[in-house]
Amino acid sequence: MSNPLALVGSYLDVAIVFGLVLAAAPSIGNFMGRVFTNRPTFGEGVFGPVERGIYRLLGVNPRHSMRVREYISAFLLSNAALIIWIFLLLQLQNKLPLAAPNIPPMSWDLALHTSASFSTNTDFTHFVTESQVTEGGLLLGLQVAMFLSAGAGLAILAAFIRGFVRKDGTIGNYFVDITRCVVRILAPLSVLGALILVLLGLPQTFATSLQFHTLLGPVQTIPLGPVASWQSIMLLGSNGGGIFGANSTHPFENPSALSNLFEIGLMMLIPFSSPFAFASAVRRKGEAFPYLGTILIVFFIAVALLIIGQVASNPELSPIAALSQNSFYSAGQETRFTLPEGALFQTVSVYGNVGANNMAIGALSPIGQMAMLFGMFTQSTPGGVGTGMGYLLTNALIAIFVGGLMVGRTPEYLGKKIGKQQIGWAASLLLIHPVLIFGPLVATLLGGFAALPTTGVGASAHTFTSILYEFTSEAANNGSAMGSVYVNDTTLWFNVVGAVVMLVGRFMPMVAMLMISHHFSVQTPLPPGPGTLKTQSFTFMIYLTLFLIILTALLFLPALALGPLTQIGAGG
Amino acid sequence: MATVHLGPSADVRAESRISIGYVLAESIRGFSPRRMIRHPVMFTVYILFLFILVVMLDPRLFPDITAHYDKIYYLGTAILLFLTLWFATVSEGIAEAQGRAQAESLRQIRGGLVVHRVDAAGQEATVPVETVRVGDVFVVRQGENIPTDGDVVKGAAQIDESMLTGESQTVLRESGGDRTSVLGGSKVAEGEIQVRVSAVQGQSFLDRLIRLVESTTREKTPNEIALNVLLSALSLALFIVVLGLVYLCQITGYAAIDVATAASLLVSLLPTTIGGLLPAIGISGINRVAKANVIAKSGKAVEAAGDLDVLILDKTGTITVGNRLAVQLVPAPSVDMGELLNVAMLGSSLDDTPEGRSIVRLAARQGAKPGRLEPGSFRVVPFSQERRMSGIQLGDGAEIMKGSVTAIREYAGELPPTLALTATEAARQGMTVLAIARNRQILGLVYLKDIVKPGIKERLAELRRMGIRTVMCTGDNRLTAATISKEAGVDDFIAEARPEAKLTVINREKGQGRLVAMTGDGTNDAPALARADVGLAMNSGTSAAKEAGNMVDLDSDPTKLIQVVSIGKQLLITRGALTTFSITNDVAKYFAIIPVLFATAGAGFAGVRDLNILGLSNPHLAVLSTVLFNALMIPALIPLALRGVPFRPRSAIDLLRQNLILYGIGGLVSAFVGIKAVYIVLGWLGQIPGWQSLLTEIAHFLPGGFL
Repeated sequence: MSNPLALVGSYLDVAIVFGLVLAAAPSIGNFMGRVFTNRPTFGEGVFGPVERGIYRLLGVNPRHSMRVREYISAFLLSNAALIIWIFLLLQLQNKLPLAAPNIPPMSWDLALHTSASFSTNTDFTHFVTESQVTEGGLLLGLQVAMFLSAGAGLAILAAFIRGFVRKDGTIGNYFVDITRCVVRILAPLSVLGALILVLLGLPQTFATSLQFHTLLGPVQTIPLGPVASWQSIMLLGSNGGGIFGANSTHPFENPSALSNLFEIGLMMLIPFSSPFAFASAVRRKGEAFPYLGTILIVFFIAVALLIIGQVASNPELSPIAALSQNSFYSAGQETRFTLPEGALFQTVSVYGNVGANNMAIGALSPIGQMAMLFGMFTQSTPGGVGTGMGYLLTNALIAIFVGGLMVGRTPEYLGKKIGKQQIGWAASLLLIHPVLIFGPLVATLLGGFAALPTTGVGASAHTFTSILYEFTSEAANNGSAMGSVYVNDTTLWFNVVGAVVMLVGRFMPMVAMLMISHHFSVQTPLPPGPGTLKTQSFTFMIYLTLFLIILTALLFLPALALGPLTQIGAGG
Repeated sequence: MATVHLGPSADVRAESRISIGYVLAESIRGFSPRRMIRHPVMFTVYILFLFILVVMLDPRLFPDITAHYDKIYYLGTAILLFLTLWFATVSEGIAEAQGRAQAESLRQIRGGLVVHRVDAAGQEATVPVETVRVGDVFVVRQGENIPTDGDVVKGAAQIDESMLTGESQTVLRESGGDRTSVLGGSKVAEGEIQVRVSAVQGQSFLDRLIRLVESTTREKTPNEIALNVLLSALSLALFIVVLGLVYLCQITGYAAIDVATAASLLVSLLPTTIGGLLPAIGISGINRVAKANVIAKSGKAVEAAGDLDVLILDKTGTITVGNRLAVQLVPAPSVDMGELLNVAMLGSSLDDTPEGRSIVRLAARQGAKPGRLEPGSFRVVPFSQERRMSGIQLGDGAEIMKGSVTAIREYAGELPPTLALTATEAARQGMTVLAIARNRQILGLVYLKDIVKPGIKERLAELRRMGIRTVMCTGDNRLTAATISKEAGVDDFIAEARPEAKLTVINREKGQGRLVAMTGDGTNDAPALARADVGLAMNSGTSAAKEAGNMVDLDSDPTKLIQVVSIGKQLLITRGALTTFSITNDVAKYFAIIPVLFATAGAGFAGVRDLNILGLSNPHLAVLSTVLFNALMIPALIPLALRGVPFRPRSAIDLLRQNLILYGIGGLVSAFVGIKAVYIVLGWLGQIPGWQSLLTEIAHFLPGGFL
């Protein structure tokens, strides 16, 4: 870091990646918007027949548009089927094709946690992939879930947006939505991503491992697998469960600085394009602006906090740090990458609800941990594939409601009045997140399922933060984990509670979004008038940003006070 | 004959003084659980208050949570929670008292107790007012009060409505036509009329107004319900967060949180400012409408007024002064202009109609020199329906007549061809053309034109800034309509409108999802008034119109709608602004209380204590200051809630920016400053020995605990 040129360079390359993705976002968003609204898209000749084949296979009439009840049942039942499928697969994995002799079936609670985790797009892993999941389980279960859960997120966003444009009381067809989103968005992009990742040096093979005779004599087994294709959908679909336990610090998942940059881009692609997808779907081009603005502001604050936290001196280490050149928190960090490269990867990963790691969150500065937690509290800057934009819209509805009152009109958005039903469902999201985080946290500590170390406030607060982080990550369906030497989160308690938190944290808000969409879909849209609150304005963008930050802070500052803030004082 | 007692004079109505006794009594009644539960935010405070009371009365019930029981601290907390609740009930009490005072003064002007009913045979009988049914006919004579709403079916009278409207000038009401309706409570100043009952007492407009301003029957409006839902969810979420904090502090052993501190933290975080003032805001909105002399049939209608997109206005009487005024004189080919001016002036000098007066003014401006009129030397020929002209017969036998071109043509023969041509052209441009003749010889023409009311242009511009589009409705041809709409600045017009035109426009606009308002007074306006989202009927109009609209303007001023729109908007803005204020206020409260929780914790908690940017060193005092500040915000903002946030029409985004700065940033900053100020004052008070001993004395009466 002493070389100023290197310092500039390390910021420059991440800036270029960021710029490239933002440059591509409008076109990709526009494409997604067309997919959402069932308009023909690029590649119709290829996608159309594939989709029609799938509809015939599923027995779906693509022209049938569902009312909310039917849509929710279709969504929940097909997800239940997916969860059961993965659960059974993992329970029976030693008897299925592609089984490995050294991998036993999963315990029921771990299988429950894993199936909930992957089907809710969380991909929180309480297992080590290499030793606990067979190739069959990975490919037939987890990888299928990575596509379908990301597809479901996009489908729900599509149905949510439809409420703003429809007036016939229907919100689309779930099966059509998920099919179109997987076939047109996720599949082509992930194939493309996988090909490029192979070019960048990621392995793609059905061989499960390589065996070497090391120089010292013993045989070393190096696990292998279809890494590139896995990595591609894992990052693109905001999944995040690595094919290797070490996730994106593993050289096969992330071999070089170039692959690191490309993977950053892959993670950013859909979440950062979503505001444009929304704008395209509601056919108001400028509507992307306030959302993208809000996302970027909150996101960059987080990146800055992460970097500042890392660079700031560690009071505990300071006597030693004085001797070394680097005084920042460097333990557990990926030394192959520069700090900005690592920080951007990490922030994109957490804020984009991917959860892939290339920094050990437990070794981050408390400020950095706070920044990461904040992203999971908002879940919407930019948040996961589909759901992030959904959360942002839901938050925006509340902001528009209060702001709309402030301009003296019954609040409306895109010509749809925001009434008590919409506010009720939107506000339920304010409620569910604290419940899902504080409830399990209190129960875990009260029930003694994890104990805080008594070796000092710093260690205690750090452990507290790690449990807070675990449940926050699960409630937000993020999947990033902090980990702590004092907490074993692979126990029955953590598996079962975690599964419940992930399921409720995923499906309840999505049902709420669909209900909001339903209540909008029965309204005839009003034409915009001069008295309508203009959302395509700088003022509204700043307002939305502050509203989101303050509301989130109000609900979660106490948790941060007990965790990271206490760590700062204790020098942990 | 039983005379009906007169109502109080108008100034009694204007002066609606509120009774402090009533407010106090009402504020105590507000503590009944049944009324508290209607306001979810305050109900939460209520529960916490009761809980602290119980803890205070017997701390031994909760040995776990009262480990550091401090009598005076608990007493202080209880007092402050009580104050928070009390301020809220007082604010509601004041708003109710205002409404009640208004209702009281209105009640006094209700019609009398008896009615002179006239049966089908024409027989008169004096009966109690309660026995009167809709459709009955009664007679009202000079000086009597009209007992209830109805339509004049026979006779004509000057009606004094001053007790309702404050307007001292009497109005004419007569059978037939559009001026038949009379209101209960008004008084016959001159004449005698027979009235058919359109609403029995208890259902009259006055009664409705009384019921509406008495908040007991007030229903929550849709926006208010939605806001309540949001505030409830937010309160519940904050409850969970604080509960989580208390438990987690306990389990982790980082800090022991006193129950009183936890309750204080929660109460300060809850949106009590908006929650406490919400009822008062709603009530005062209705009161303000009533004060503007508008009878709104529901609070919903007032709120809807704030949302209007389109306003349909009648041309005549609303945009233009009801009468056309002279703008030009055109002499016949062989006639000298000076002569025409003199004749026109002379001929109209005794014509007291606005048209006649305007001709005199125009002629005088253009230099007419009329001859003197010796008293008794002339005779006025009044306007008659048959001849459709009026004029004057002079002593020398000369006769000057003016009237419509067709009437004068009958009187004095055909117009000269060039004059006939100009007359047609002027008529085509929307002017009314009168001809003037002397001794059956046509001298020239007078053009009369619609004159836009002074100030209307500004008011219409104001509406445009509020985002409301105006549509003018007129029976005139397109050209006239276009001229006037341009002059007045309306956005759109409907020319050659037939009676059903308004209904068509309303249906079209509503079909596109817009909210439409209209004003009207005629019976043929009734369907449109009923269909419009806001139908403001004129008091001068027919009962059918008043029945159909959801608001009645007692002053019969169509531009009153602008005022109603402003009140509707104010209502929403006040709610939004105070919600924002409540939320941003909370930030400072965290900074005040969270560090306090760790005040006694070990050195390891320096990080949390660093949040104490306000420098509040005494933990208990810091907590009490925060709660007191929070409670004080309610009375501090009562005037704002009652008056409404000042509203100046401007674009929505400007309004948002302005209110965000004022109430968002204002809320953020005021809390930091306010809490610190309260802390300093409380600390200073604490030094006065009297206070300390007073609290100690009171605490002495409380049961044991750990003392």
